[in-house]
Amino acid sequence: MRRRFAPIAALATALCAIPVALAGSGADPGVSSTTILIGGTSPLTGPAASYATVARGAQAYFDFINAKGGAAKRKIEYRVVDDAYNPAQTVQAVRRLVEQDNVFAVFNTLGTEANLAIRDYLNQVKVPQLFVASGATTWGRDAAKYPWTIGFQPSYAAEGLVYGQYIAKTQKKAKVGVLFQNDDYGKDLLASLKSGLSRSGSKVVAAEPYQVTSPDVGSQIGKLKASGANVLAIFATPTFAIQAYVFANRLGWRPLIINNAVSATSNTMTLASEGGKNKSIEGTISTTPLKDPLNPRWKKDPGMKQYRAILAKYAKGANPNDANHLYGMAVAYETVGLLKGLGANPTRAGLMARARSIASAKNPFLLPGVSVKTGKGDNFPLQQGQLQRWMKGRWVPFGGLWTSKRN
Amino acid sequence: MTARTTRIIGFVAFAAFVAFVAVLPSFIGDFKAREYSYVGIYLIALLGLNILTGYTGQISLGHGAFMAIGGYTTAILMAGNEQFGGPISGGMKDVWTLPIAGLVAGLVGLAFGIPALRLSGLYLALATFAIAVAMPSTAKRFEEFTGGGSGIQLFGTPELTGSISNVEIFGLSFSPNDWMYYLAWSIALVAFAVAWLILRGRTGRAFRAVRDSEIAAVSSGVSLARYKTLAFAISAAYAGVAGGLFVIASAFINPDAFPVALSIYLLVGIVVGGLGGLSGLVFGAIFIAFLPLWAQGQDLGSLLPDRIIAETQKPGGPAMVYGIVLILLMFAIPNGVGGLFRRIGQLISSRRYSRAK
Repeated sequence: MRRRFAPIAALATALCAIPVALAGSGADPGVSSTTILIGGTSPLTGPAASYATVARGAQAYFDFINAKGGAAKRKIEYRVVDDAYNPAQTVQAVRRLVEQDNVFAVFNTLGTEANLAIRDYLNQVKVPQLFVASGATTWGRDAAKYPWTIGFQPSYAAEGLVYGQYIAKTQKKAKVGVLFQNDDYGKDLLASLKSGLSRSGSKVVAAEPYQVTSPDVGSQIGKLKASGANVLAIFATPTFAIQAYVFANRLGWRPLIINNAVSATSNTMTLASEGGKNKSIEGTISTTPLKDPLNPRWKKDPGMKQYRAILAKYAKGANPNDANHLYGMAVAYETVGLLKGLGANPTRAGLMARARSIASAKNPFLLPGVSVKTGKGDNFPLQQGQLQRWMKGRWVPFGGLWTSKRN
Repeated sequence: MTARTTRIIGFVAFAAFVAFVAVLPSFIGDFKAREYSYVGIYLIALLGLNILTGYTGQISLGHGAFMAIGGYTTAILMAGNEQFGGPISGGMKDVWTLPIAGLVAGLVGLAFGIPALRLSGLYLALATFAIAVAMPSTAKRFEEFTGGGSGIQLFGTPELTGSISNVEIFGLSFSPNDWMYYLAWSIALVAFAVAWLILRGRTGRAFRAVRDSEIAAVSSGVSLARYKTLAFAISAAYAGVAGGLFVIASAFINPDAFPVALSIYLLVGIVVGGLGGLSGLVFGAIFIAFLPLWAQGQDLGSLLPDRIIAETQKPGGPAMVYGIVLILLMFAIPNGVGGLFRRIGQLISSRRYSRAK
């Protein structure tokens, strides 16, 4: 009996010893003399699995940095756990990362609901919730209440406003129909679109929600067409955005289409074009802070050359035209910058302090002129973007960079 | 083996299992206790589903929805829904919401059981599937009641026992993770005993009669209406308690926490555990709780060859591994773990008899 328990007891002792071993040098959990462990969830399966490439891009960039010697003399280990876009699973996975794997920070976790589900927990246990992959306004707006949480991408509120102002400026008495995901993300975009339209002759005539779990958005598109709208705003994730184009085309409906940034990667647009047969995508308006992998303008750009090289080497088989990889690299680039500045004994509090005072103007994956910055009273890292129009198989930028002034 | 020795073996095995459950947290890490609490939670749901599907022969593809009903009952009683403009002020301690969660889900199950009387086989499966599909949308529609897509946050609320500080009870101190483990498993073990008591007597025989042949059951005086709705109600009540515990463990609820996939996983769980048996369901619950992790190359999955682990890290990878494991398992043990147990039992007893000759 005693002999039987011996290996279990040894294992239990070993498990207890791990946190002690990690604590070592006076640095926080997740930091050893050779590595920094960060972790996050990403949908690798389920309705939003197309976003899995964000984590893959970030992973490839960390591998690239590690091959060059890492950040602050340590290799960055990035552990990604699948949550199937289900917030209950996000909670389990994140507690596992924090309590069992002892990550230094939770990084790049994807989805508005997923991040809402873990925010109170992470702020209580004081683990950074770094660069949330969601544009909900709350990440920046409620920084005082949740000091351990910080977003990254331009807020949906800023994005929606830009579309509203664009329509107000260029269209006379437009009737806007909106397809939106029935959660904070979709509602943030819808509300700010409306405020961008205010005091113009244009207005939202119909807004149709869909559920993440629903099979398609055919009936919503049918209703929006029936409403007499001549502008269609798609505030939907890639799968549903593609469906929206397909159904609009089948119904012979050719409104001016606005497509939100999260579904506007060239890759998604190419899929929506159904091999060039679907003409409804021509003239679509969207916005992005990223360089477009399909745009020949960036063919010789050093940042984009690096992007393709890293992807080819560290994410074999990944499609470089999927700009979600690029987003992942952009956010990983900023993270490496933060970690480098933490010195010999990185602490979680030190990481957050630096995340609240970023001044990074040269992210090679973002458009020239787009800077990542935070500071006193400014908790939104990215607040700029470029309007662009889809023409003949690629995005063509127009107008200058916009900068959100709301925050 | 006589019926009596079988029963004695059963009691001894159950007592040994209770003892095992009681001491397990001392041998696994603190965090693992939290993960194993989910096994207990899924076990409760599987016990309920097996009463309905395994014993009474009524297929339900909608048990995730009954879990959601229990989960929302618990969350709303704890946090209230006044902050969304709803009528309930909340403030109830988490543990006390569980009987109500069971009751509410049980009543909904009963209400659903009545129209379901007219359906059988595949049609019933489809009707129950419809509840599972409709549930997330319904919860989002009644936003002032459920908090909509943003859900209800319970972490750190006074109603939640042990958010991050230790729990003192009966003079003992439990870490939050151990507390969750013991809470889930004490309820799961009671639920197990209750299910056994229900199934061993007259009611259980009636359930099995309905399953094996409805015509034969009616001609022996078993009321189909009564036993089918009863099975639905009991089964849904189990799912409701499991849903309530699930929400306490996650400290968060929103409609996407109970996707259609959950209902399907539960059905997979009873098939893996063995239809029409109780003890195998523990393995079904382990399967539901841990296979998604193993399929990502974590824990047991880290024993897989590196090439396969590399595949699991790619988009869609875990789902593929999950599917392959499920297919292999069904080839190896088509009657589930429970069926395997029974087969081993038969082998032992037949050897014994042949030796006696």
